[in-house]
Amino acid sequence: MSTLNALITLVVFPGGLAILLTGMIYEWVDRKLVARLQNRMGPRWYQPLADTVKLLAKEEVLPNGVHAQMFYALPVIALAGALTATLYVPVFGLRPAYSFNGDLIVTVYLLSVLTLCMGLAGANTLNRYALIGATRTLTQLFSYEAPFLLALLGPALVAGSWQIGEIADYAERHWLILTQPVGFLVAIIGLMGKLELPPFDAPEAETEIVAGALTEYSGRGLALFRLGKGVELVIGLTLVAAFYLGGVANPLLFFAKTLLLLAGMAAMQTLLTRLRIDQTVGLWWRYGALLVLAQYLAVIVWQGVMA
Amino acid sequence: MEFNKTWQDMLEQLKTWARVNSPWAIHFNSGSCNGCDIEILATLTPRYDMERFGLKLQGSPRHADVLICTGPVTRQARDRLIRIYEQMPDPKFVIAVGSCALSGGAFQGCYNILGGIDQVLPVDVYVPGCPPRPEAIIDGVVKLLEQLKAGYQPAARRSGVLRPVPVPVTDAG
Repeated sequence: MSTLNALITLVVFPGGLAILLTGMIYEWVDRKLVARLQNRMGPRWYQPLADTVKLLAKEEVLPNGVHAQMFYALPVIALAGALTATLYVPVFGLRPAYSFNGDLIVTVYLLSVLTLCMGLAGANTLNRYALIGATRTLTQLFSYEAPFLLALLGPALVAGSWQIGEIADYAERHWLILTQPVGFLVAIIGLMGKLELPPFDAPEAETEIVAGALTEYSGRGLALFRLGKGVELVIGLTLVAAFYLGGVANPLLFFAKTLLLLAGMAAMQTLLTRLRIDQTVGLWWRYGALLVLAQYLAVIVWQGVMA
Repeated sequence: MEFNKTWQDMLEQLKTWARVNSPWAIHFNSGSCNGCDIEILATLTPRYDMERFGLKLQGSPRHADVLICTGPVTRQARDRLIRIYEQMPDPKFVIAVGSCALSGGAFQGCYNILGGIDQVLPVDVYVPGCPPRPEAIIDGVVKLLEQLKAGYQPAARRSGVLRPVPVPVTDAG
Protein backbone atom coordinates (compact mmCIF):
# COMPACT_ATOMS: atom_id res chain seq x y z
CA MET A 1 0.00 0.00 0.00
CA SER A 2 2.81 2.36 0.86
CA THR A 3 4.39 1.62 -2.54
CA LEU A 4 1.15 2.56 -4.25
CA ASN A 5 0.94 5.74 -2.20
CA ALA A 6 4.51 6.63 -3.07
CA LEU A 7 3.86 5.99 -6.77
CA ILE A 8 0.75 8.19 -6.75
CA THR A 9 2.71 10.92 -4.95
CA LEU A 10 5.48 10.74 -7.53
CA VAL A 11 3.49 10.36 -10.74
CA VAL A 12 0.02 11.82 -10.24
CA PHE A 13 -0.43 14.11 -7.25
CA PRO A 14 1.15 16.35 -6.00
CA GLY A 15 4.25 15.53 -8.07
CA GLY A 16 4.13 14.46 -11.71
CA LEU A 17 0.98 15.17 -13.74
CA ALA A 18 -0.69 17.61 -11.36
CA ILE A 19 2.36 19.86 -11.11
CA LEU A 20 2.98 19.70 -14.89
CA LEU A 21 -0.59 20.84 -15.56
CA THR A 22 -0.35 23.54 -12.89
CA GLY A 23 2.90 24.70 -14.47
CA MET A 24 1.15 25.06 -17.83
CA ILE A 25 -1.77 26.94 -16.27
CA TYR A 26 0.60 29.31 -14.50
CA GLU A 27 2.52 29.86 -17.71
CA TRP A 28 -0.75 30.77 -19.42
CA VAL A 29 -1.70 33.16 -16.58
CA ASP A 30 1.69 34.82 -16.93
CA ARG A 31 1.43 35.17 -20.73
CA LYS A 32 -2.17 36.36 -20.57
CA LEU A 33 -1.41 38.98 -17.92
CA VAL A 34 1.58 40.29 -19.88
CA ALA A 35 -0.58 40.40 -23.01
CA ARG A 36 -3.38 42.30 -21.26
CA LEU A 37 -0.88 44.76 -19.80
CA GLN A 38 0.38 45.34 -23.35
CA ASN A 39 -3.21 45.93 -24.52
CA ARG A 40 -3.37 42.67 -26.48
CA MET A 41 -5.87 39.80 -26.41
CA GLY A 42 -3.26 37.26 -25.44
CA PRO A 43 -3.22 33.47 -25.83
CA ARG A 44 -6.17 31.15 -25.19
CA TRP A 45 -6.29 29.16 -21.98
CA TYR A 46 -5.09 25.88 -23.52
CA GLN A 47 -2.17 27.53 -25.35
CA PRO A 48 0.71 26.01 -23.29
CA LEU A 49 -0.90 22.56 -23.59
CA ALA A 50 -1.16 22.91 -27.38
CA ASP A 51 2.45 24.15 -27.54
CA THR A 52 3.68 21.19 -25.52
CA VAL A 53 1.73 18.55 -27.47
CA LYS A 54 2.84 20.07 -30.76
CA LEU A 55 6.49 20.11 -29.71
CA LEU A 56 6.26 16.50 -28.49
CA ALA A 57 4.78 15.45 -31.84
CA LYS A 58 7.46 17.23 -33.87
CA GLU A 59 10.66 15.86 -35.33
CA GLU A 60 13.67 16.16 -33.03
CA VAL A 61 16.69 17.19 -35.06
CA LEU A 62 20.07 15.92 -33.88
CA PRO A 63 22.54 18.60 -35.02
CA ASN A 64 26.01 17.74 -36.28
CA GLY A 65 28.84 17.68 -33.79
CA VAL A 66 26.89 17.18 -30.55
CA HIS A 67 27.31 14.44 -27.99
CA ALA A 68 24.16 12.48 -28.82
CA GLN A 69 23.52 10.81 -25.45
CA MET A 70 23.95 14.09 -23.62
CA PHE A 71 21.74 15.88 -26.13
CA TYR A 72 18.89 13.45 -25.43
CA ALA A 73 19.52 13.03 -21.68
CA LEU A 74 19.83 16.67 -20.58
CA PRO A 75 16.15 17.68 -21.01
CA VAL A 76 15.08 14.57 -19.09
CA ILE A 77 17.48 15.31 -16.22
CA ALA A 78 16.34 18.93 -16.12
CA LEU A 79 12.67 17.99 -15.85
CA ALA A 80 13.44 15.24 -13.33
CA GLY A 81 15.29 17.72 -11.11
CA ALA A 82 12.37 20.15 -11.13
CA LEU A 83 9.83 17.38 -10.47
CA THR A 84 11.89 15.98 -7.58
CA ALA A 85 11.99 19.41 -5.98
CA THR A 86 8.16 19.37 -5.95
CA LEU A 87 8.16 16.64 -3.32
CA TYR A 88 9.86 18.86 -0.71
CA VAL A 89 7.70 21.99 -1.03
CA PRO A 90 4.15 22.57 0.24
CA VAL A 91 2.46 22.74 -3.20
CA PHE A 92 -1.36 23.03 -3.37
CA GLY A 93 -1.38 24.01 0.30
CA LEU A 94 -0.54 20.44 1.36
CA ARG A 95 2.27 19.35 3.65
CA PRO A 96 5.46 18.50 1.74
CA ALA A 97 5.29 14.89 0.56
CA TYR A 98 8.75 14.17 1.93
CA SER A 99 10.68 16.09 4.51
CA PHE A 100 14.00 15.83 6.28
CA ASN A 101 16.34 18.18 8.09
CA GLY A 102 18.10 20.42 5.58
CA ASP A 103 15.73 19.84 2.66
CA LEU A 104 15.70 23.60 1.94
CA ILE A 105 19.26 23.42 0.60
CA VAL A 106 18.51 20.26 -1.40
CA THR A 107 15.45 21.86 -2.96
CA VAL A 108 17.33 24.99 -4.00
CA TYR A 109 20.02 22.84 -5.62
CA LEU A 110 17.43 20.63 -7.35
CA LEU A 111 15.96 23.79 -8.82
CA SER A 112 19.40 24.76 -10.15
CA VAL A 113 19.69 21.46 -12.01
CA LEU A 114 17.41 22.81 -14.74
CA THR A 115 19.60 25.89 -15.29
CA LEU A 116 22.78 23.80 -15.22
CA CYS A 117 21.30 21.40 -17.78
CA MET A 118 20.38 24.32 -20.03
CA GLY A 119 23.92 25.65 -19.78
CA LEU A 120 25.35 22.24 -20.62
CA ALA A 121 22.86 21.82 -23.46
CA GLY A 122 24.04 25.09 -24.98
CA ALA A 123 27.71 24.24 -24.51
CA ASN A 124 27.13 20.80 -26.03
CA THR A 125 26.33 22.15 -29.49
CA LEU A 126 28.62 23.80 -32.04
CA ASN A 127 26.20 26.67 -32.56
CA ARG A 128 27.81 29.98 -31.60
CA TYR A 129 24.55 31.52 -30.41
CA ALA A 130 23.90 28.52 -28.19
CA LEU A 131 27.44 28.86 -26.79
CA ILE A 132 26.96 32.53 -25.96
CA GLY A 133 23.58 31.67 -24.47
CA ALA A 134 25.14 28.95 -22.34
CA THR A 135 27.83 31.33 -21.08
CA ARG A 136 25.20 33.88 -20.16
CA THR A 137 22.95 31.26 -18.53
CA LEU A 138 25.77 30.05 -16.31
CA THR A 139 26.95 33.60 -15.54
CA GLN A 140 23.43 34.45 -14.48
CA LEU A 141 23.28 31.26 -12.40
CA PHE A 142 26.35 32.36 -10.45
CA SER A 143 24.96 35.83 -9.94
CA TYR A 144 21.41 35.13 -8.71
CA GLU A 145 21.94 31.82 -6.93
CA ALA A 146 23.72 33.16 -3.85
CA PRO A 147 21.34 36.08 -3.15
CA PHE A 148 18.30 33.83 -3.80
CA LEU A 149 19.57 31.22 -1.37
CA LEU A 150 20.43 33.91 1.20
CA ALA A 151 16.95 35.37 0.84
CA LEU A 152 15.41 31.96 1.55
CA LEU A 153 17.74 31.43 4.51
CA GLY A 154 16.43 34.58 6.23
CA PRO A 155 13.17 32.87 7.28
CA ALA A 156 15.16 29.75 8.16
CA LEU A 157 17.24 31.85 10.54
CA VAL A 158 14.26 33.21 12.48
CA ALA A 159 12.39 29.89 12.39
CA GLY A 160 15.48 28.13 13.73
CA SER A 161 15.14 25.25 11.29
CA TRP A 162 16.41 24.20 7.86
CA GLN A 163 13.33 22.13 7.09
CA ILE A 164 10.85 23.64 4.62
CA GLY A 165 7.83 22.26 6.50
CA GLU A 166 8.90 23.78 9.83
CA ILE A 167 9.81 27.15 8.30
CA ALA A 168 6.40 27.23 6.57
CA ASP A 169 4.71 26.47 9.93
CA TYR A 170 6.59 29.33 11.56
CA ALA A 171 5.77 31.66 8.64
CA GLU A 172 2.05 30.93 8.98
CA ARG A 173 2.14 32.67 12.34
CA HIS A 174 4.42 35.54 11.25
CA TRP A 175 4.16 37.57 8.06
CA LEU A 176 7.87 37.72 7.31
CA ILE A 177 7.37 40.19 4.46
CA LEU A 178 6.83 42.81 7.20
CA THR A 179 9.93 41.97 9.21
CA GLN A 180 12.21 41.06 6.27
CA PRO A 181 11.07 43.14 3.28
CA VAL A 182 14.53 43.14 1.67
CA GLY A 183 14.64 39.36 1.73
CA PHE A 184 11.24 39.20 0.04
CA LEU A 185 12.28 41.57 -2.73
CA VAL A 186 15.53 39.73 -3.36
CA ALA A 187 13.72 36.37 -3.37
CA ILE A 188 11.10 37.47 -5.91
CA ILE A 189 13.69 39.12 -8.17
CA GLY A 190 15.94 36.09 -7.77
CA LEU A 191 13.05 33.92 -8.91
CA MET A 192 12.66 36.06 -12.02
CA GLY A 193 16.37 35.66 -12.69
CA LYS A 194 16.09 31.91 -12.21
CA LEU A 195 13.24 31.65 -14.71
CA GLU A 196 15.00 34.02 -17.16
CA LEU A 197 11.98 36.28 -17.36
CA PRO A 198 12.39 39.88 -18.51
CA PRO A 199 14.30 41.99 -17.41
CA PHE A 200 16.71 39.10 -16.78
CA ASP A 201 16.23 37.39 -20.15
CA ALA A 202 19.69 38.21 -21.53
CA PRO A 203 20.51 34.44 -21.70
CA GLU A 204 17.72 33.86 -24.22
CA ALA A 205 17.55 37.30 -25.80
CA GLU A 206 15.99 36.53 -29.16
CA THR A 207 16.94 39.87 -30.66
CA GLU A 208 20.64 39.23 -30.02
CA ILE A 209 21.43 35.53 -29.79
CA VAL A 210 18.51 33.76 -31.54
CA ALA A 211 17.18 31.64 -28.66
CA GLY A 212 20.14 31.33 -26.32
CA ALA A 213 21.26 27.96 -25.02
CA LEU A 214 18.26 26.12 -26.48
CA THR A 215 18.80 27.34 -30.05
CA GLU A 216 19.54 23.85 -31.40
CA TYR A 217 16.77 22.07 -29.51
CA SER A 218 13.60 21.16 -31.34
CA GLY A 219 10.62 18.95 -30.62
CA ARG A 220 10.78 16.76 -27.54
CA GLY A 221 13.86 18.30 -25.90
CA LEU A 222 12.46 21.81 -26.13
CA ALA A 223 9.09 20.61 -24.79
CA LEU A 224 10.72 19.00 -21.74
CA PHE A 225 12.78 22.13 -20.99
CA ARG A 226 9.65 24.28 -21.23
CA LEU A 227 7.73 21.94 -18.94
CA GLY A 228 10.61 22.05 -16.46
CA LYS A 229 10.45 25.84 -16.46
CA GLY A 230 6.72 25.77 -15.75
CA VAL A 231 7.25 23.42 -12.81
CA GLU A 232 10.03 25.64 -11.50
CA LEU A 233 7.75 28.67 -11.74
CA VAL A 234 5.18 26.98 -9.49
CA ILE A 235 7.77 25.73 -6.99
CA GLY A 236 9.51 29.09 -6.78
CA LEU A 237 6.25 30.94 -6.23
CA THR A 238 5.25 28.38 -3.58
CA LEU A 239 8.52 28.80 -1.73
CA VAL A 240 8.33 32.61 -1.69
CA ALA A 241 4.63 32.63 -0.73
CA ALA A 242 5.13 30.04 2.00
CA PHE A 243 8.13 31.81 3.50
CA TYR A 244 7.20 35.47 3.21
CA LEU A 245 3.46 35.88 2.63
CA GLY A 246 2.09 34.20 5.74
CA GLY A 247 2.25 30.61 4.56
CA VAL A 248 0.11 28.47 2.27
CA ALA A 249 -1.98 26.48 4.77
CA ASN A 250 -4.80 25.44 2.41
CA PRO A 251 -5.35 25.22 -1.38
CA LEU A 252 -7.33 28.47 -1.47
CA LEU A 253 -4.55 30.43 0.22
CA PHE A 254 -2.00 28.68 -1.99
CA PHE A 255 -3.63 29.72 -5.26
CA ALA A 256 -4.51 33.22 -4.04
CA LYS A 257 -1.00 34.04 -2.84
CA THR A 258 0.98 32.45 -5.67
CA LEU A 259 -1.25 34.03 -8.33
CA LEU A 260 -0.89 37.41 -6.60
CA LEU A 261 2.90 37.02 -6.74
CA LEU A 262 2.65 35.96 -10.38
CA ALA A 263 0.63 39.09 -11.19
CA GLY A 264 3.36 41.20 -9.60
CA MET A 265 5.99 39.40 -11.66
CA ALA A 266 3.97 39.91 -14.87
CA ALA A 267 3.76 43.63 -14.13
CA MET A 268 7.53 43.82 -13.62
CA GLN A 269 8.11 41.91 -16.88
CA THR A 270 6.04 44.47 -18.73
CA LEU A 271 7.53 47.51 -17.04
CA LEU A 272 11.23 46.77 -17.19
CA THR A 273 13.55 46.42 -20.15
CA ARG A 274 16.23 43.83 -20.58
CA LEU A 275 19.43 44.26 -18.57
CA ARG A 276 22.82 43.50 -20.07
CA ILE A 277 24.45 40.45 -18.52
CA ASP A 278 27.06 42.58 -16.71
CA GLN A 279 24.30 44.78 -15.30
CA THR A 280 22.51 41.66 -14.04
CA VAL A 281 25.63 40.42 -12.28
CA GLY A 282 26.30 43.89 -10.86
CA LEU A 283 22.73 44.20 -9.59
CA TRP A 284 22.93 40.90 -7.72
CA TRP A 285 26.35 41.16 -6.21
CA ARG A 286 26.55 44.90 -5.53
CA TYR A 287 23.04 45.34 -4.14
CA GLY A 288 21.15 42.03 -3.73
CA ALA A 289 23.68 39.99 -1.80
CA LEU A 290 24.93 42.94 0.30
CA LEU A 291 21.43 44.08 1.29
CA VAL A 292 20.39 40.58 2.32
CA LEU A 293 23.57 40.19 4.35
CA ALA A 294 22.89 43.54 6.07
CA GLN A 295 19.40 42.30 6.88
CA TYR A 296 20.87 39.10 8.29
CA LEU A 297 23.05 41.15 10.58
CA ALA A 298 20.03 43.16 11.72
CA VAL A 299 18.04 39.96 12.41
CA ILE A 300 20.90 38.39 14.36
CA VAL A 301 21.49 41.53 16.43
CA TRP A 302 17.75 41.82 17.10
CA GLN A 303 17.57 38.20 18.20
CA GLY A 304 20.55 38.78 20.47
CA VAL A 305 18.93 41.87 22.01
CA MET A 306 15.63 40.07 22.59
CA ALA A 307 17.24 36.96 24.07
CA MET B 1 -18.21 11.22 -30.32
CA GLU B 2 -17.48 7.99 -32.16
CA PHE B 3 -16.45 4.92 -30.23
CA ASN B 4 -15.04 2.79 -33.04
CA LYS B 5 -11.94 4.94 -33.43
CA THR B 6 -8.56 3.39 -32.79
CA TRP B 7 -6.15 5.08 -30.44
CA GLN B 8 -3.89 5.92 -33.39
CA ASP B 9 -6.68 8.02 -34.87
CA MET B 10 -7.19 9.75 -31.55
CA LEU B 11 -3.46 10.48 -31.31
CA GLU B 12 -3.46 11.80 -34.86
CA GLN B 13 -6.40 14.07 -34.01
CA LEU B 14 -4.63 15.33 -30.91
CA LYS B 15 -1.50 16.11 -32.94
CA THR B 16 -3.51 17.97 -35.57
CA TRP B 17 -5.33 19.94 -32.87
CA ALA B 18 -2.00 20.94 -31.30
CA ARG B 19 -0.50 21.88 -34.67
CA VAL B 20 -3.47 24.02 -35.60
CA ASN B 21 -3.40 25.83 -32.27
CA SER B 22 0.29 26.49 -31.97
CA PRO B 23 1.95 27.62 -35.21
CA TRP B 24 5.31 29.15 -34.30
CA ALA B 25 6.72 31.25 -37.07
CA ILE B 26 10.07 32.41 -38.33
CA HIS B 27 10.42 35.26 -40.76
CA PHE B 28 12.97 35.40 -43.57
CA ASN B 29 13.59 38.10 -46.14
CA SER B 30 15.25 36.75 -49.25
CA GLY B 31 15.58 40.05 -51.12
CA SER B 32 12.45 42.04 -50.42
CA CYS B 33 12.29 45.84 -50.40
CA ASN B 34 11.27 45.65 -46.66
CA GLY B 35 7.70 46.74 -47.35
CA CYS B 36 6.28 43.28 -46.65
CA ASP B 37 8.57 42.88 -43.64
CA ILE B 38 7.17 46.02 -42.08
CA GLU B 39 3.64 44.71 -42.66
CA ILE B 40 4.57 41.37 -41.03
CA LEU B 41 5.95 43.23 -38.02
CA ALA B 42 2.76 45.29 -37.91
CA THR B 43 0.84 42.00 -37.85
CA LEU B 44 2.74 40.98 -34.74
CA THR B 45 2.10 44.24 -32.87
CA PRO B 46 -0.56 44.46 -30.10
CA ARG B 47 -3.08 45.94 -32.51
CA TYR B 48 -3.38 42.72 -34.53
CA ASP B 49 -1.94 40.40 -31.84
CA MET B 50 -1.23 37.05 -33.46
CA GLU B 51 -0.76 35.37 -30.09
CA ARG B 52 -4.52 34.87 -29.92
CA PHE B 53 -4.09 32.21 -32.64
CA GLY B 54 -1.10 30.83 -30.76
CA LEU B 55 1.32 32.25 -33.35
CA LYS B 56 4.62 33.30 -31.83
CA LEU B 57 7.63 34.70 -33.65
CA GLN B 58 10.63 32.51 -32.87
CA GLY B 59 14.27 33.42 -33.27
CA SER B 60 15.51 29.94 -34.09
CA PRO B 61 14.40 27.92 -37.14
CA ARG B 62 14.65 24.80 -34.95
CA HIS B 63 11.67 26.02 -32.90
CA ALA B 64 9.50 27.13 -35.83
CA ASP B 65 6.70 25.43 -37.77
CA VAL B 66 5.90 28.12 -40.30
CA LEU B 67 8.43 29.91 -42.50
CA ILE B 68 7.06 33.31 -43.52
CA CYS B 69 9.02 34.40 -46.61
CA THR B 70 9.06 37.80 -48.23
CA GLY B 71 10.65 39.04 -51.40
CA PRO B 72 11.92 37.44 -54.59
CA VAL B 73 14.75 34.94 -54.20
CA THR B 74 18.05 36.49 -55.14
CA ARG B 75 20.95 34.27 -56.18
CA GLN B 76 22.76 35.34 -53.00
CA ALA B 77 19.88 34.52 -50.66
CA ARG B 78 18.92 31.20 -52.25
CA ASP B 79 21.36 29.03 -50.30
CA ARG B 80 20.49 30.75 -47.02
CA LEU B 81 16.77 30.31 -47.65
CA ILE B 82 17.17 26.60 -48.33
CA ARG B 83 19.41 26.27 -45.30
CA ILE B 84 16.89 27.90 -42.96
CA TYR B 85 14.14 25.72 -44.42
CA GLU B 86 16.14 22.57 -43.85
CA GLN B 87 16.99 23.54 -40.28
CA MET B 88 13.29 23.50 -39.41
CA PRO B 89 11.95 20.24 -37.97
CA ASP B 90 9.18 18.37 -39.76
CA PRO B 91 6.23 19.09 -40.28
CA LYS B 92 6.91 22.56 -41.67
CA PHE B 93 4.95 25.01 -43.76
CA VAL B 94 5.91 27.93 -45.98
CA ILE B 95 3.88 31.11 -46.44
CA ALA B 96 4.95 33.42 -49.27
CA VAL B 97 3.99 37.02 -48.50
CA GLY B 98 3.83 39.74 -51.15
CA SER B 99 3.80 39.96 -54.96
CA CYS B 100 7.56 39.46 -55.21
CA ALA B 101 7.45 36.28 -53.16
CA LEU B 102 4.70 35.00 -55.46
CA SER B 103 6.30 35.60 -58.81
CA GLY B 104 9.26 37.94 -58.54
CA GLY B 105 6.93 40.93 -58.85
CA ALA B 106 8.62 44.14 -59.89
CA PHE B 107 11.99 42.38 -59.97
CA GLN B 108 10.88 39.66 -62.39
CA GLY B 109 13.45 39.01 -65.06
CA CYS B 110 16.30 40.74 -63.29
CA TYR B 111 19.69 39.10 -63.80
CA ASN B 112 20.12 38.41 -60.06
CA ILE B 113 16.60 37.07 -59.36
CA LEU B 114 15.47 33.46 -59.54
CA GLY B 115 11.78 34.39 -59.24
CA GLY B 116 9.23 33.63 -56.52
CA ILE B 117 9.74 31.54 -53.40
CA ASP B 118 8.20 28.51 -55.14
CA GLN B 119 11.19 28.36 -57.47
CA VAL B 120 13.18 27.22 -54.46
CA LEU B 121 10.85 25.89 -51.75
CA PRO B 122 7.47 24.10 -51.75
CA VAL B 123 5.01 26.86 -50.77
CA ASP B 124 1.76 26.18 -48.88
CA VAL B 125 0.06 29.59 -48.86
CA TYR B 126 0.42 32.58 -51.20
CA VAL B 127 -0.53 36.02 -49.85
CA PRO B 128 -0.67 38.56 -52.70
CA GLY B 129 -0.31 42.32 -52.29
CA CYS B 130 2.35 44.97 -52.59
CA PRO B 131 2.62 44.97 -49.63
CA PRO B 132 -0.30 42.89 -48.30
CA ARG B 133 -2.15 44.45 -45.38
CA PRO B 134 -1.82 42.81 -41.95
CA GLU B 135 -5.42 41.58 -42.34
CA ALA B 136 -4.40 39.78 -45.53
CA ILE B 137 -1.44 38.13 -43.78
CA ILE B 138 -3.68 37.02 -40.90
CA ASP B 139 -6.14 35.69 -43.49
CA GLY B 140 -3.34 33.68 -45.11
CA VAL B 141 -2.28 32.18 -41.78
CA VAL B 142 -5.85 31.33 -40.82
CA LYS B 143 -6.43 29.71 -44.24
CA LEU B 144 -3.39 27.53 -43.65
CA LEU B 145 -4.67 26.56 -40.19
CA GLU B 146 -8.11 25.70 -41.57
CA GLN B 147 -6.56 23.58 -44.28
CA LEU B 148 -4.55 21.81 -41.62
CA LYS B 149 -7.72 21.12 -39.68
CA ALA B 150 -9.18 19.54 -42.81
CA GLY B 151 -6.26 17.11 -43.00
CA TYR B 152 -3.92 18.99 -45.31
CA GLN B 153 -0.38 17.66 -45.69
CA PRO B 154 2.53 20.10 -46.06
CA ALA B 155 3.47 20.91 -49.64
CA ALA B 156 6.92 19.45 -49.04
CA ARG B 157 5.45 16.06 -48.13
CA ARG B 158 2.99 15.96 -51.03
CA SER B 159 5.55 16.75 -53.70
CA GLY B 160 8.06 14.40 -52.11
CA VAL B 161 10.81 16.92 -52.83
CA LEU B 162 12.57 17.82 -49.61
CA ARG B 163 15.82 18.94 -51.15
CA PRO B 164 14.90 21.44 -53.87
CA VAL B 165 16.51 20.96 -57.26
CA PRO B 166 19.37 23.44 -57.79
CA VAL B 167 18.59 26.07 -60.38
CA PRO B 168 21.30 26.27 -63.08
CA VAL B 169 23.02 29.63 -63.19
CA THR B 170 22.56 31.12 -66.63
CA ASP B 171 24.51 33.93 -68.19
CA ALA B 172 23.49 37.31 -66.95
CA GLY B 173 21.74 39.06 -69.76
